[in-house]
Amino acid sequence: MSLNTTTTNYDGLRVYVVEDEALVAMNLEMILEELGCVIAATAMRFDQAEQMINEGIEADVAILDVNLGGLNVFPLAERLIERGIPVVFATGYDESGIDDAWHGTPTLQKPYTAEDVDRGLAMVLAARQS
Amino acid sequence: MVLDRHFNIVAVNNAYERATMRARDELIGRYLFDVFPNEEESGRRLRASFERVFRTGKPDSLAYIPYDIPKPADQGGGMEQRFWTAVHTPLQDEQGRVAHLLQNTVDVTEIVRLRQAVNLPFRFRETHLLERAREAERQRSTLMAEGEDFRRLFQQAPGFFAVVSGPEHVFTFANDSYLRVIGGRNVLGMKVRDALPEIEGQGFFELLDGVYRTGTPARGEAVRVMVQPEEGGELRETFLDFSYDAIRDDEDTIIGVFVQGMDRTESVRAHRQQRLLLDELNHRVKNTLSAVQSIAAQTMRSARDLKSANKDLEARIVALSKAHNLLSAKEWTDAELANVVDQELSAYDQSRIETGGSKVALDPKTAIALALVLHELTTNAAKYGALSSSQGHLSVTWQALPDRTLSLAWMERTDNPVAPPERHGFGSRMIERVISGELGGTYENRYAREGFSCRISVPLRTRELNECH
Repeated sequence: MSLNTTTTNYDGLRVYVVEDEALVAMNLEMILEELGCVIAATAMRFDQAEQMINEGIEADVAILDVNLGGLNVFPLAERLIERGIPVVFATGYDESGIDDAWHGTPTLQKPYTAEDVDRGLAMVLAARQS
Repeated sequence: MVLDRHFNIVAVNNAYERATMRARDELIGRYLFDVFPNEEESGRRLRASFERVFRTGKPDSLAYIPYDIPKPADQGGGMEQRFWTAVHTPLQDEQGRVAHLLQNTVDVTEIVRLRQAVNLPFRFRETHLLERAREAERQRSTLMAEGEDFRRLFQQAPGFFAVVSGPEHVFTFANDSYLRVIGGRNVLGMKVRDALPEIEGQGFFELLDGVYRTGTPARGEAVRVMVQPEEGGELRETFLDFSYDAIRDDEDTIIGVFVQGMDRTESVRAHRQQRLLLDELNHRVKNTLSAVQSIAAQTMRSARDLKSANKDLEARIVALSKAHNLLSAKEWTDAELANVVDQELSAYDQSRIETGGSKVALDPKTAIALALVLHELTTNAAKYGALSSSQGHLSVTWQALPDRTLSLAWMERTDNPVAPPERHGFGSRMIERVISGELGGTYENRYAREGFSCRISVPLRTRELNECH
């Protein structure tokens, strides 16, 4: 049974997932696959995510949980942007949990739907093309 | 200034030294009326006030008293005309007798001098002021009891009150609540900038200046101010509601500022704490809803039919809810592993189940994750394993290793062995992800002829208690 109602097909877009809750990560991966994306890698802890970036992760976009077991994901977001990988945030806090410097970055409010993820991806891709 | 019963001066502060133009050693040990002789009515009134305090043990005040004091020789000698207000408070010794008297006196001559600044006939205004003050003092004397009550009301009011006089804002009154805010410092007679030096730069002096200059009131609500109750001590964060209002005389000339307000520190702190709790609660609810959303989506996706999807979903949500109950019972500090295990297995025949291990406290994240994992293992055992046949046996044992790793062994024994089918549904994928991904542990399983078994190792994030279960 598919719950996917979106129409966009991202045709192999490689997404790097950073999310510390196993269930949430599994759901996001399922949504991404149904949108036609490929999971470049999934990191569930800050150090693990950092190591993947150090090793030169190959991805077209990253979806980052803002709070990774109490650690803030913003330093990792900065490094991904430097490497030309645009980011989408996901958070259980409201906008006040996002640093001012990052306002304007597409943000998924938990719990989010496939449509929300679709919109977030579309925003970063549109920004990249312009 | 402190007097003993013989009216000898035993202590003075800097403000008193300045006001009287005399150094400490010219004052201490001397008979007050020798240093400041006055054979007139003012001398008699001052003496009478002292005597009342020592006789009745109750405070006494002189709202207004002209009392000239000798000018030191190096400043030209002679007498200098001064006007004062004074509050006399009894100080009791250990036996409860009034041994000393504390005089809080404020030189209000400045108010008179203010008249000089407004370029009007000084003599007239001074006479006018004196008459008004004398009248006030006469009324005060006749309405002594009421006056005392009124003063006490102000003094002990829950709100804070202070009066600062003149362009330099000299404290002429400060009630108990005001003194509590500033840490009990004796500020009467001092300029605000000298009395509360730590407030410099926080904007309050400028507000007072503005009110004194323009007469426009200033107000603030829950305004943050850093006060330093003790010299050299730590700054204390305080939140105040306040208003500054100009005090005017009959001619509408501003002569001071009336300061009033409320210490709101406690309520601001409580509000802040509540905000924090609400944010945290909101975050937790969002995370839980995300987990439920994921459980629902994946249960639906991997289910054979709607009926079994519904049943599995319900059972998973109940398992999550029970883990919340255990954590809630301990205010979300931790949950004991034995309780998590027992709670999941309580619905089954206990004679076929054996559980045991050391006492292990799980942090909330690990507790919830393990509860969901144990739920999946139990469900599988009930569907296909040891809990599905009448002959099966399940043992769940654990220990906390010295390297702060929790090692849990799940061992099923059954007479109708199962091959490893069905174990790649949502349940087993979730177990794998939770243990190795989220908790950073390891999960190994084995489908032996005598039954399914697995070993879970996860790092412990809170201290375990080495007691037997």
